[in-house]
Amino acid sequence: MAFYKEKYDAIVVGGALSGMAAALTLANKGKSVLVLERHNLPGGLTTSFVRGGLEMEATLHEMMSIGPEDAPLKIRTFLEEMGIKVDWLRVPEAYRIYVPKESIDITLHAGWTGSIKDNVFVPGEFNMAKEIDAKYPGTFSEVNRLMNLCAEVYNSVNVLSIHPMSKPAMLLKHGNFVKTAGYSTSEVMDTFKLPQEVKDILKAYWIYVGSPFSELPFTIYAVLMGDYFIGGSYVAKEFSHELSLRMQERLEELGVQYEYCQDVDKILVKDGHVYGVRTKRGDEIHADYVACSAYPNTCYGKMIEPLSEVPAGAYKFTNAKKQGVSVVSVVLTLDKAPKELNIHDYSVFASDGDMDLDRLWKQAHTLGPYDYTTTICLNYANPGCTPKGQTSLSITFLPLSDAFETIKADEYFEVKRKLARSLIETVSKHLGVNLFDHILEVEVEMPQSVAHYTSDYLGGIYGFQHSMDDHIVARLQMSEEENYIKGLSFCGAHAISGDGMSPCITNGRKAAKILLDEMSEEGK
Amino acid sequence: MKIKSFLKDVGGASRVTKARKAKFDNASGKNEYTDPINALARELHPGKMKVRITKVEEVSPTAKKFTFEAVEGKLPPFQAGNYVSFSFQIGETKTTRAYSICSAPYQARTGEHPFFEVTIRNGRPGQGFVSTYCYENWKEGDIVIADLPYGHFYIEPLRDSKYIVGLAGGSGITPFYAMAQEIAHGTLDADLTILYGSVSKKDIILVKQLTAVSKECKRVKFINVISGEGEKLEKGDEKGFISRELIAKYSLDGNPSNGKTTFFVCGPLPMYNFVAKELAALNVPARRIRMETFGAPKDISKAEGYPVELIDKVFKMTVVRGVQEDVIDARADEPILVALERHGIATQSHCRSGECGYCRCKVLEGTFFVPSVGDGRRAADKRFNYVHACSTYPTSDIKVRIPILDD
Repeated sequence: MAFYKEKYDAIVVGGALSGMAAALTLANKGKSVLVLERHNLPGGLTTSFVRGGLEMEATLHEMMSIGPEDAPLKIRTFLEEMGIKVDWLRVPEAYRIYVPKESIDITLHAGWTGSIKDNVFVPGEFNMAKEIDAKYPGTFSEVNRLMNLCAEVYNSVNVLSIHPMSKPAMLLKHGNFVKTAGYSTSEVMDTFKLPQEVKDILKAYWIYVGSPFSELPFTIYAVLMGDYFIGGSYVAKEFSHELSLRMQERLEELGVQYEYCQDVDKILVKDGHVYGVRTKRGDEIHADYVACSAYPNTCYGKMIEPLSEVPAGAYKFTNAKKQGVSVVSVVLTLDKAPKELNIHDYSVFASDGDMDLDRLWKQAHTLGPYDYTTTICLNYANPGCTPKGQTSLSITFLPLSDAFETIKADEYFEVKRKLARSLIETVSKHLGVNLFDHILEVEVEMPQSVAHYTSDYLGGIYGFQHSMDDHIVARLQMSEEENYIKGLSFCGAHAISGDGMSPCITNGRKAAKILLDEMSEEGK
Repeated sequence: MKIKSFLKDVGGASRVTKARKAKFDNASGKNEYTDPINALARELHPGKMKVRITKVEEVSPTAKKFTFEAVEGKLPPFQAGNYVSFSFQIGETKTTRAYSICSAPYQARTGEHPFFEVTIRNGRPGQGFVSTYCYENWKEGDIVIADLPYGHFYIEPLRDSKYIVGLAGGSGITPFYAMAQEIAHGTLDADLTILYGSVSKKDIILVKQLTAVSKECKRVKFINVISGEGEKLEKGDEKGFISRELIAKYSLDGNPSNGKTTFFVCGPLPMYNFVAKELAALNVPARRIRMETFGAPKDISKAEGYPVELIDKVFKMTVVRGVQEDVIDARADEPILVALERHGIATQSHCRSGECGYCRCKVLEGTFFVPSVGDGRRAADKRFNYVHACSTYPTSDIKVRIPILDD
């Protein structure tokens, strides 16, 4: 019986957002593509599940770089160009940050008077700078200056990732990008005259990049802040699964073969060039080009067959990289409406201690308790996400996987519950409402849950940590010499642009582009 | 480098690139791959595994308790109330069945011969095709394929009260035996009162075992609720059905509505319907009711909204796997999963109740019926005609795309 064609132009290992973006890009160029996904759902972590008849988001799932319909940003544009129309709902606020010990409690919104049109940056006034100024008078100009710097760098990164240019040209057109590239977020922030509380307010999103600011390249901070405060964030009306399924449906319309339940065991290499894959089921399928969603660590560590085809440089690469964060998330459906539970915000970042990120980062290396929590009440972005009179709430921290590596099977449930209990207690304390009295459904996600569903290396969700010695600018500059095996490229949070749903789509497009370039070089 | 001067510094890009190069150059060039997180994930969810039957015990005139050990490696940890899914090849048919694990979790992970157990009742004529097969054929020494653990019918301390009332009927008693033993062992912190509804005491399962646990452990109470006329009751038994009065009597503080008792319900569909009404009448908060799934409807023609006139039809079903297509028959009165299984097409399924989603597949052409009870699909799946094959009935010739699975 033949379930597969004799040969494909390209095989994509892993049908999550990045893999699907790669497949879309390849199919759009007329290539025959096979996507092999180990789960029986599309999208990897961009998914949902059903408990007790209720659909629940797998975790906090805001989509960036969408922008409003009349001012679309790059991901909305890409999806629409690919023929994918998602029912996007705008998230109301960027965030509320609550740090009782520093008397910080403020809610910030996206939006500004500036513009980024045809890749030209025009500065403006940010709403959030006004909101901060209202509570911390006299800070507007410095906050606004910082935000405009972020917006400018954000634009530069978007432009340069599609149109690389020479250094003099870059310096001329993207000067601030060039000039800030060598500095960490703390270093750049310290040049702004701002009270400590305001600096702390501006740190809230640190967890979404999983790096303390002493290690985080300012470039990444700028992209994050620019993205969130220019375009705002969005969620899909029918949960993250809507986005994933619409992408998959479109792939099939384009003639891409997308197969569930196919766990790729080996990537077959001969004389330094990929020639196919073998699944756990035993199917050997041929293609000279493979876009791989598995982490390079897993790929070079055990998937390449034979392993002797992996050059030492590839191991230097994986051994030098710092693994990024994983996740602990408590996903709840509660039996009262948000307001009855004193929940008034979509997104709340809270610290029970201070906002010393180096200290919080130390906690990220432990099994908790964690001072820093992210709480998302989806009802405020998507009122239909639960039946009336109920609340969808997730509480999340993103720790590193190292502390989780020593957990034994027999203590797994206990560790998981202890972590979840502590997170629920923390948020209950903030709300003044005992959430334990309202739980209809609860699921707890751990690094092992991620590994179970995706098999991602160490249960990672954010790929490799952004750091000053693994800087995005350096990643881009060195990217060509890091294609260690011909016909193989990587897509996923572990690829150049790093973590998040939107960067993953960008990573997938890039992975496809690398393969397309190789195809044309090799006359395929 | 003076930080203040960064706005004049144009060398940053080369500096960070140098730093990255240096880091890579200094790294080891050896394969140092290990992944303990994935290793634990596989230990917790090993997938299909071979298990050997080590003991068969009659636990009622029509039910047997089977004990299993792993043929290789270890059994995974599980939670009392989880189920195991067995794979079968019976004649041409490839199928699965889910049974609640009736042994305690600690027994699968400790002692010289870790094990798990299920209790299977002999099916009535025309029903319980696989249960009858197990009851009649499984014997000591046999090796079968098991996949565990699955399901959500376990006591979740983050959510549930420590005071549990179990409402059981028929084979629905089995998960409560697991919970009772785990409580008695001191590894599950809960008080459990089991109300076990039966018509007659003659043919009820695990009674001796549950009575013994309740004698040994004060935190476990076991009460037979007997509805049949002329049945001899013993001390502690209750007469009648699992009614609102009985439920109230055994709730903490005699008050089922105060949120201090969590009710776990497991039994046949008529019992669910009855008990659900009683719990609703008692104003038990929704978060205090946990219902186990109960399998596909015995007679789909009775489901609300089913086009009854089609019930005797047999449709053509085109099955797409990869680039291959096969055409098989699909009876209107059976889920499409069963049609696939009858033709020996490999599928994956566990709960067989529409809930777990492992049999998710896409209907490409044709029409179908999904009963509203137990429709565990995601919203976007409904939009794009994705269905759970175990709870989907063809109402025309139909074309489905299913995953390529092991034969």
